[in-house]
Order: sequence, then structure tokens, then C-alpha cells
Amino acid sequence: MIHPAWGPFLFDTSAESWLARTPLAPAQEWFRRYTELFPVHISAVTVLERTRGYALLWRSESGERRGQIESARIAYLSTLGQVWPVDTTIAVVAAEIMALAPQPPTPAKRSHKFSESRQERLTRWRCDTMIAATALVTRMPLVHNNAGDFEAIRSAVEIDPARFPGLGPLELARCGGLV
Amino acid sequence: MKQKSQTASRKRRTTLTLPVDALGQAERIARAKHVNLSVVVAEALASFLQVEKAREHSAQVLRGYREAFQGFSAEEMMILDGIIPETRKR
Repeated sequence: MIHPAWGPFLFDTSAESWLARTPLAPAQEWFRRYTELFPVHISAVTVLERTRGYALLWRSESGERRGQIESARIAYLSTLGQVWPVDTTIAVVAAEIMALAPQPPTPAKRSHKFSESRQERLTRWRCDTMIAATALVTRMPLVHNNAGDFEAIRSAVEIDPARFPGLGPLELARCGGLV
Repeated sequence: MKQKSQTASRKRRTTLTLPVDALGQAERIARAKHVNLSVVVAEALASFLQVEKAREHSAQVLRGYREAFQGFSAEEMMILDGIIPETRKR
């Protein structure tokens, strides 16, 4: 268990939505307590991923549904807590991670009706490296819902610590492990 | 400057009806700290108001997130999480 008071934490894109939507009472209570104590820290990259999602959904719909999607987008942007920009330091650290691990460690998402392209998978991987770099630079543990990607980044940082002077290790906390 | 400090410490006299037990505890704390009862009650109220403010803020954040994510299917939530299927891009 990770006490909310041990924060602040940086939240990955899928962790943010998982905690906001979870039907699990202990996780709901954890997030409620957390938001009493700290702002929800996220990377600007999460804002990019999320609002790109809203924009794509909006473009694929019409009429009343578009209005609902736009209202949801406005609600999201109005709810933002602490958003960390990708500054020079974070960009340099993310570049080191991308050089150490240029390819995504897990395959593209696929199911019988859903297929993520290799290009999209690579984009998502690069977003993850920028989010991990933000956690490293801001020295916040990263709450995530994507062990495959972030454990690989943690390992990459541990393999070559000289390229990350004064930073690391990357502290990770899975959403499911918070309570 | 003088006006600013007067504003910061503005006070108003009032009459409260408090539970005997709580009042007794507050008086004991006031005696132990060598301050008057008003100081103890003001500190307790300030702490309570801070907690209430945090609760209200938390409720507002959670309400905002509910509005941001409600009414989306599992596939749409994946898109909102940055996982974009090929068909959506066309």
C-alpha cells in the first residue's frame, strides 16, 4: 500500500483516467484522499495525448454527440491540477531514454476490432519516455497503469546511470498497488 | 502598511454556544499554552476550515473528472488514453 500522504506523485495518462473511473471503493477512497492533499500532477504530454483523443472522437462523430465530447473536453481542461511542461532538462532526459530504448518494449495493441499501427505505438512509446523523464526530473514517483513500458524505462535508466547524473532511480507505483 | 496589518488581524466579537466537554478541553489547552480561550477556538476553527477547503477542492476535482470521462465506451477511453486505432485516423 502507498499512502496518499507520501505524495505528490506524477500520474501517467492511463493512471489518471483509471483512478478517476475505477469502481473499486478502496481506490476511489485513495484518490479522494490524495486530491485533498495534493494537486494531480501530470505531464503536458498527458494533456496532449488526452486532448488529441477528444479531438479524434469529436471528428469521428456528429450532432449532439459532438457537443457531449466537447463538454467532456472542457471539463477535463478545467480540472487540471499541476501540469509539468517539457522543458530543456526533461527533453534531454527523454532523449537519453529514447536513445537507450528506441523501440517500444511491448507490441502494438490489437484485438478483433481494434488495431494500433506501429507508427502509433512508437508515438505512444515516445510519449511514455517523456512522462518518465518528467518523473525523473521532478523526483516524483510515477503512478502508472502500464508496467510493460515503464518497467523497461526504469531498467534502461538503471543500466546506464552515468547518462542520468543526479537522477533516478525511476520510482514506479502501479494503480492496482496503491491500496 | 499599518492599514494592511490591521486588515490581516481584523476580529469580531461574537457569542457561541459550545458543548460543555469541548469547551472544557479548549479551556484546558488555553491554560496550558498560556493563551486566552479565543486563541484556541480561533486556531481550531482555522484548522477545520482548512480541512473543509481541501474536501471541497477534492470534490470539485473528482466531479470534473467524472464529467470528463463519463459516457465513453472502453474503446473510446483507450483513445482518450492515447491508444489510437488505425481506423480512427482515416
